[in-house]
Amino acid sequence: MEMQDTTYDKSEYVETASGNKVSRKTVLCGSQNIVLQGKVIIQSDAIIRGDLANVRTGRYCIISKEAVIRPPYKQFSKGVAFFPMTIGDHVYVGERSAVSAAIIGSYVYIGKNVVIGRRCVLKDCCIIEDNAIIAPETIIPPFTRYGGSPGMEVGSVPECQQDLMIDFTRSYYQHFVPARIL
Amino acid sequence: MTSENNINVMPGAIVCEESKLDGDITIGSHCIIHPAAIISAEAGPIILGDFCLVEEQAKIIHRLRPEQTNNETTPVLIIGSHNVFEIGCTVEAAKIGSNNVFESKCFVSNKVNVTNGCIIGAGCKLIEEQTLKNNTIVYGSKCFQREGLDRPVTQTAQMDTLSKMLPNYHHIRRPMKKDYLN
Repeated sequence: MEMQDTTYDKSEYVETASGNKVSRKTVLCGSQNIVLQGKVIIQSDAIIRGDLANVRTGRYCIISKEAVIRPPYKQFSKGVAFFPMTIGDHVYVGERSAVSAAIIGSYVYIGKNVVIGRRCVLKDCCIIEDNAIIAPETIIPPFTRYGGSPGMEVGSVPECQQDLMIDFTRSYYQHFVPARIL
Repeated sequence: MTSENNINVMPGAIVCEESKLDGDITIGSHCIIHPAAIISAEAGPIILGDFCLVEEQAKIIHRLRPEQTNNETTPVLIIGSHNVFEIGCTVEAAKIGSNNVFESKCFVSNKVNVTNGCIIGAGCKLIEEQTLKNNTIVYGSKCFQREGLDRPVTQTAQMDTLSKMLPNYHHIRRPMKKDYLN
Protein backbone atom coordinates (compact mmCIF):
# COMPACT_ATOMS: atom_id res chain seq x y z
CA MET A 1 0.00 0.00 0.00
CA GLU A 2 1.35 3.38 -0.98
CA MET A 3 1.82 5.81 1.91
CA GLN A 4 -0.03 9.12 1.75
CA ASP A 5 1.97 12.28 1.32
CA THR A 6 2.72 14.25 4.48
CA THR A 7 3.08 17.84 3.48
CA TYR A 8 4.95 20.58 5.26
CA ASP A 9 5.44 24.28 4.87
CA LYS A 10 8.58 24.78 2.86
CA SER A 11 9.58 27.89 4.76
CA GLU A 12 9.41 26.01 8.04
CA TYR A 13 11.89 23.26 7.22
CA VAL A 14 15.59 23.42 6.50
CA GLU A 15 17.00 20.76 4.21
CA THR A 16 20.71 20.04 4.50
CA ALA A 17 23.02 18.70 1.80
CA SER A 18 22.78 15.19 3.22
CA GLY A 19 19.00 15.29 3.04
CA ASN A 20 18.15 15.99 6.67
CA LYS A 21 14.90 17.87 7.06
CA VAL A 22 14.80 19.84 10.27
CA SER A 23 11.96 22.10 11.32
CA ARG A 24 12.83 25.62 12.41
CA LYS A 25 10.45 25.25 15.33
CA THR A 26 12.55 22.61 17.08
CA VAL A 27 14.64 23.24 20.16
CA LEU A 28 18.08 21.91 19.30
CA CYS A 29 20.33 22.66 22.23
CA GLY A 30 24.07 22.42 21.68
CA SER A 31 23.69 21.75 17.97
CA GLN A 32 27.45 21.22 17.58
CA ASN A 33 27.03 17.97 19.52
CA ILE A 34 24.18 16.61 17.38
CA VAL A 35 25.10 14.42 14.43
CA LEU A 36 22.42 13.48 11.92
CA GLN A 37 23.74 11.00 9.38
CA GLY A 38 21.41 11.97 6.59
CA LYS A 39 17.77 11.72 5.48
CA VAL A 40 16.65 12.37 9.04
CA ILE A 41 13.36 14.19 9.63
CA ILE A 42 12.95 16.26 12.79
CA GLN A 43 9.46 17.71 13.08
CA SER A 44 8.23 20.84 14.80
CA ASP A 45 8.59 21.33 18.57
CA ALA A 46 10.87 18.33 18.97
CA ILE A 47 13.64 18.84 21.50
CA ILE A 48 17.12 17.35 21.19
CA ARG A 49 19.42 18.04 24.11
CA GLY A 50 22.87 18.08 22.55
CA ASP A 51 24.07 20.36 25.32
CA LEU A 52 24.05 17.55 27.87
CA ALA A 53 26.03 15.05 25.75
CA ASN A 54 26.55 14.00 22.14
CA VAL A 55 23.55 12.72 20.23
CA ARG A 56 24.15 10.65 17.14
CA THR A 57 21.47 9.33 14.86
CA GLY A 58 21.72 6.95 11.94
CA ARG A 59 20.13 7.37 8.54
CA TYR A 60 16.38 7.59 7.94
CA CYS A 61 15.40 8.47 11.49
CA ILE A 62 12.09 10.19 12.09
CA ILE A 63 11.63 12.29 15.20
CA SER A 64 7.97 13.30 15.40
CA LYS A 65 6.36 16.39 16.82
CA GLU A 66 7.02 17.32 20.46
CA ALA A 67 9.31 14.34 21.03
CA VAL A 68 12.19 14.84 23.45
CA ILE A 69 15.56 13.20 22.92
CA ARG A 70 17.65 13.66 26.03
CA PRO A 71 20.95 11.94 26.83
CA PRO A 72 20.77 9.92 30.06
CA TYR A 73 22.65 10.64 33.24
CA LYS A 74 24.17 8.33 35.78
CA GLN A 75 24.99 9.15 39.34
CA PHE A 76 28.44 8.28 40.57
CA SER A 77 29.97 8.81 43.98
CA LYS A 78 31.66 11.87 42.51
CA GLY A 79 28.66 13.59 41.01
CA VAL A 80 26.66 12.99 37.88
CA ALA A 81 27.77 12.35 34.32
CA PHE A 82 25.69 12.56 31.17
CA PHE A 83 26.24 9.83 28.61
CA PRO A 84 26.26 10.17 24.85
CA MET A 85 23.26 8.75 23.08
CA THR A 86 23.34 6.81 19.86
CA ILE A 87 20.40 6.00 17.66
CA GLY A 88 20.66 3.46 14.85
CA ASP A 89 19.27 3.60 11.33
CA HIS A 90 15.58 3.52 10.38
CA VAL A 91 14.25 4.49 13.79
CA TYR A 92 10.84 6.07 14.28
CA VAL A 93 10.04 8.08 17.44
CA GLY A 94 6.34 8.91 17.83
CA GLU A 95 4.72 12.15 18.89
CA ARG A 96 5.21 13.46 22.43
CA SER A 97 7.56 10.65 23.41
CA ALA A 98 10.35 11.31 25.89
CA VAL A 99 13.41 9.21 25.15
CA SER A 100 16.32 9.10 27.56
CA ALA A 101 17.85 5.81 26.43
CA ALA A 102 21.59 5.18 26.22
CA ILE A 103 21.53 3.18 23.02
CA ILE A 104 18.76 2.68 20.50
CA GLY A 105 19.49 0.01 17.90
CA SER A 106 18.37 0.03 14.31
CA TYR A 107 14.86 -0.63 12.96
CA VAL A 108 13.23 0.38 16.25
CA TYR A 109 9.68 1.69 16.36
CA ILE A 110 8.72 3.88 19.34
CA GLY A 111 5.04 4.79 19.52
CA LYS A 112 3.29 7.95 20.70
CA ASN A 113 3.40 9.32 24.23
CA VAL A 114 6.04 6.84 25.34
CA VAL A 115 8.40 7.46 28.24
CA ILE A 116 11.71 5.67 27.97
CA GLY A 117 13.60 5.96 31.24
CA ARG A 118 17.20 6.91 31.53
CA ARG A 119 19.94 4.54 30.40
CA CYS A 120 17.64 2.03 28.73
CA VAL A 121 19.14 -0.06 25.97
CA LEU A 122 16.87 -0.78 23.03
CA LYS A 123 18.29 -3.52 20.86
CA ASP A 124 17.60 -3.80 17.12
CA CYS A 125 14.13 -4.51 15.72
CA CYS A 126 12.00 -3.90 18.81
CA ILE A 127 8.66 -2.14 19.07
CA ILE A 128 7.51 0.07 21.96
CA GLU A 129 3.74 0.45 21.95
CA ASP A 130 1.91 3.75 22.37
CA ASN A 131 1.68 5.14 25.94
CA ALA A 132 4.24 2.66 27.27
CA ILE A 133 6.37 3.64 30.25
CA ILE A 134 9.74 1.91 30.26
CA ALA A 135 11.46 1.95 33.64
CA PRO A 136 15.02 3.27 33.86
CA GLU A 137 17.88 0.92 32.95
CA THR A 138 15.67 -1.61 31.16
CA ILE A 139 17.28 -3.63 28.41
CA ILE A 140 14.87 -4.47 25.62
CA PRO A 141 15.93 -7.54 23.65
CA PRO A 142 15.71 -7.72 19.86
CA PHE A 143 12.40 -8.71 18.22
CA THR A 144 10.23 -7.98 21.24
CA ARG A 145 7.22 -5.77 21.67
CA TYR A 146 6.97 -3.80 24.92
CA GLY A 147 3.95 -1.96 26.28
CA GLY A 148 2.06 -0.89 29.39
CA SER A 149 3.11 0.80 32.60
CA PRO A 150 5.59 -0.34 33.80
CA GLY A 151 6.63 -1.55 30.38
CA MET A 152 6.74 -5.29 29.96
CA GLU A 153 7.09 -7.70 27.12
CA VAL A 154 3.69 -8.13 25.49
CA GLY A 155 4.60 -10.03 22.38
CA SER A 156 7.12 -10.60 19.68
CA VAL A 157 7.95 -8.95 16.41
CA PRO A 158 8.08 -10.79 13.08
CA GLU A 159 11.47 -11.47 11.61
CA CYS A 160 10.75 -9.14 8.72
CA GLN A 161 10.78 -6.11 11.05
CA GLN A 162 14.03 -4.92 9.47
CA ASP A 163 12.49 -4.81 6.00
CA LEU A 164 9.26 -3.33 7.32
CA MET A 165 11.07 -0.49 9.08
CA ILE A 166 13.30 0.18 6.04
CA ASP A 167 10.20 0.37 3.87
CA PHE A 168 8.31 2.47 6.39
CA THR A 169 11.01 5.07 7.06
CA ARG A 170 12.06 5.29 3.40
CA SER A 171 8.54 5.84 2.18
CA TYR A 172 7.87 8.26 5.03
CA TYR A 173 10.88 10.26 3.90
CA GLN A 174 9.86 10.11 0.26
CA HIS A 175 6.33 11.18 1.05
CA PHE A 176 7.42 13.99 3.36
CA VAL A 177 7.15 16.72 0.76
CA PRO A 178 6.65 20.46 0.77
CA ALA A 179 3.09 21.63 0.30
CA ARG A 180 2.39 22.68 -3.28
CA ILE A 181 1.40 26.25 -3.70
CA LEU A 182 -1.85 26.30 -5.58
CA MET B 1 -3.48 39.83 35.66
CA THR B 2 -1.15 37.71 33.59
CA SER B 3 -0.54 40.38 31.01
CA GLU B 4 2.28 41.79 33.07
CA ASN B 5 5.23 39.50 33.55
CA ASN B 6 6.99 40.02 36.81
CA ILE B 7 9.73 37.46 37.12
CA ASN B 8 12.14 37.46 40.01
CA VAL B 9 15.14 35.21 39.80
CA MET B 10 17.11 34.77 42.99
CA PRO B 11 20.91 34.62 42.79
CA GLY B 12 22.39 31.23 41.92
CA ALA B 13 19.38 30.10 39.89
CA ILE B 14 19.82 29.10 36.28
CA VAL B 15 16.80 29.98 34.19
CA CYS B 16 17.18 29.37 30.47
CA GLU B 17 15.77 32.12 28.33
CA GLU B 18 13.96 29.64 26.09
CA SER B 19 11.70 28.67 28.98
CA LYS B 20 8.23 30.19 28.99
CA LEU B 21 7.43 32.09 32.15
CA ASP B 22 4.10 33.91 32.37
CA GLY B 23 2.85 36.04 35.18
CA ASP B 24 4.21 36.82 38.60
CA ILE B 25 6.88 34.22 39.33
CA THR B 26 9.62 34.12 41.94
CA ILE B 27 12.32 31.53 41.39
CA GLY B 28 14.36 30.55 44.43
CA SER B 29 18.11 30.33 44.53
CA HIS B 30 19.92 27.35 42.94
CA CYS B 31 16.88 26.38 40.88
CA ILE B 32 17.44 25.08 37.38
CA ILE B 33 14.82 25.75 34.73
CA HIS B 34 15.54 23.93 31.47
CA PRO B 35 14.66 25.34 28.04
CA ALA B 36 11.07 24.82 26.89
CA ALA B 37 9.78 24.47 30.45
CA ILE B 38 6.50 26.27 31.04
CA ILE B 39 5.57 28.03 34.26
CA SER B 40 2.30 29.88 34.06
CA ALA B 41 0.96 31.94 36.94
CA GLU B 42 -2.58 32.35 35.61
CA ALA B 43 -4.46 32.80 38.83
CA GLY B 44 -1.88 34.37 41.09
CA PRO B 45 1.81 34.47 41.90
CA ILE B 46 3.98 31.36 41.99
CA ILE B 47 6.88 31.15 44.41
CA LEU B 48 9.29 28.35 43.59
CA GLY B 49 11.52 27.24 46.46
CA ASP B 50 15.25 26.68 46.40
CA PHE B 51 16.96 23.79 44.56
CA CYS B 52 14.03 22.98 42.26
CA LEU B 53 14.71 21.29 38.95
CA VAL B 54 12.25 21.89 36.13
CA GLU B 55 12.98 19.89 32.97
CA GLU B 56 11.90 20.56 29.41
CA GLN B 57 8.18 20.56 28.57
CA ALA B 58 7.28 20.42 32.26
CA LYS B 59 4.26 22.61 32.91
CA ILE B 60 3.63 24.22 36.27
CA ILE B 61 0.32 25.99 36.10
CA HIS B 62 -1.37 27.93 38.85
CA ARG B 63 -5.02 27.50 38.00
CA LEU B 64 -7.91 27.99 40.36
CA ARG B 65 -10.83 25.73 40.95
CA PRO B 66 -14.15 27.30 39.92
CA GLU B 67 -15.37 27.74 43.51
CA GLN B 68 -12.23 29.65 44.46
CA THR B 69 -12.49 32.28 41.79
CA ASN B 70 -14.80 34.55 43.78
CA ASN B 71 -12.34 35.05 46.61
CA GLU B 72 -11.07 38.56 46.91
CA THR B 73 -7.53 37.67 47.91
CA THR B 74 -5.37 36.23 45.14
CA PRO B 75 -3.94 32.96 46.35
CA VAL B 76 -0.22 32.35 46.02
CA LEU B 77 1.12 28.98 44.91
CA ILE B 78 4.09 28.26 47.12
CA ILE B 79 6.26 25.38 45.98
CA GLY B 80 8.75 24.03 48.50
CA SER B 81 12.38 23.27 47.93
CA HIS B 82 14.19 20.29 46.32
CA ASN B 83 11.32 19.42 43.97
CA VAL B 84 12.00 17.74 40.64
CA PHE B 85 9.66 18.22 37.70
CA GLU B 86 10.65 15.79 34.94
CA ILE B 87 10.07 15.92 31.18
CA GLY B 88 6.54 16.67 30.11
CA CYS B 89 4.83 16.60 33.51
CA THR B 90 1.79 18.82 34.08
CA VAL B 91 1.39 20.04 37.63
CA GLU B 92 -1.53 22.21 38.67
CA ALA B 93 -1.56 21.18 42.34
CA ALA B 94 -2.88 23.70 44.83
CA LYS B 95 -0.11 23.09 47.35
CA ILE B 96 3.29 21.54 46.85
CA GLY B 97 5.65 20.79 49.73
CA SER B 98 9.31 19.87 49.53
CA ASN B 99 11.36 16.95 48.19
CA ASN B 100 8.74 15.78 45.71
CA VAL B 101 9.45 14.14 42.37
CA PHE B 102 6.99 14.56 39.51
CA GLU B 103 8.13 12.03 36.93
CA SER B 104 7.78 12.24 33.16
CA LYS B 105 4.33 12.83 31.71
CA CYS B 106 2.49 12.69 35.03
CA PHE B 107 -0.56 14.89 35.57
CA VAL B 108 -1.59 16.42 38.89
CA SER B 109 -4.83 18.37 38.88
CA ASN B 110 -5.64 21.49 40.87
CA LYS B 111 -7.70 19.51 43.41
CA VAL B 112 -4.64 17.72 44.75
CA ASN B 113 -2.48 18.80 47.65
CA VAL B 114 1.02 17.40 47.57
CA THR B 115 2.88 17.35 50.89
CA ASN B 116 6.51 16.32 51.26
CA GLY B 117 8.65 13.53 49.83
CA CYS B 118 6.06 12.26 47.33
CA ILE B 119 6.88 10.58 44.05
CA ILE B 120 4.31 10.78 41.26
CA GLY B 121 5.33 8.03 38.87
CA ALA B 122 5.75 8.41 35.15
CA GLY B 123 2.45 8.67 33.29
CA CYS B 124 0.31 8.67 36.47
CA LYS B 125 -2.72 10.93 36.56
CA LEU B 126 -4.12 12.34 39.80
CA ILE B 127 -7.46 14.02 39.18
CA GLU B 128 -9.65 13.36 42.24
CA GLU B 129 -9.62 15.72 45.20
CA GLN B 130 -7.08 14.36 47.67
CA THR B 131 -4.15 15.17 49.87
CA LEU B 132 -1.11 12.99 49.41
CA LYS B 133 0.48 12.02 52.71
CA ASN B 134 4.19 12.41 53.29
CA ASN B 135 6.36 10.00 51.27
CA THR B 136 3.49 8.71 49.11
CA ILE B 137 4.54 6.94 45.94
CA VAL B 138 2.10 6.78 43.03
CA TYR B 139 3.01 4.18 40.46
CA GLY B 140 1.85 1.91 37.68
CA SER B 141 -0.86 2.11 35.07
CA LYS B 142 -3.65 2.13 37.69
CA CYS B 143 -1.94 4.78 39.82
CA PHE B 144 -1.62 2.64 42.96
CA GLN B 145 -0.49 4.49 46.02
CA ARG B 146 1.79 3.29 48.76
CA GLU B 147 3.96 4.83 51.37
CA GLY B 148 7.67 5.00 50.80
CA LEU B 149 10.14 4.06 53.51
CA ASP B 150 12.17 7.16 52.94
CA ARG B 151 11.85 10.35 51.02
CA PRO B 152 13.37 10.39 47.52
CA VAL B 153 17.04 11.24 47.16
CA THR B 154 17.74 14.81 46.27
CA GLN B 155 19.19 15.56 42.88
CA THR B 156 21.83 18.01 44.07
CA ALA B 157 24.62 16.11 42.29
CA GLN B 158 22.79 16.34 38.99
CA MET B 159 22.04 19.99 39.58
CA ASP B 160 25.71 20.73 40.29
CA THR B 161 26.64 19.22 36.94
CA LEU B 162 23.83 21.01 35.15
CA SER B 163 24.69 24.34 36.69
CA LYS B 164 28.18 24.00 35.24
CA MET B 165 27.02 22.79 31.82
CA LEU B 166 23.96 24.83 31.01
CA PRO B 167 25.58 28.30 31.03
CA ASN B 168 27.96 27.10 28.28
CA TYR B 169 25.11 26.51 25.87
CA HIS B 170 22.22 28.72 26.85
CA HIS B 171 21.39 32.29 27.48
CA ILE B 172 20.59 32.54 31.14
CA ARG B 173 18.06 34.95 32.52
CA ARG B 174 19.97 37.24 34.82
CA PRO B 175 18.97 37.45 38.45
CA MET B 176 17.09 40.64 39.23
CA LYS B 177 19.40 43.53 39.84
CA LYS B 178 17.21 46.42 38.73
CA ASP B 179 19.31 47.05 35.63
CA TYR B 180 17.22 46.41 32.57
CA LEU B 181 19.95 47.08 30.04
CA ASN B 182 21.82 43.84 30.48
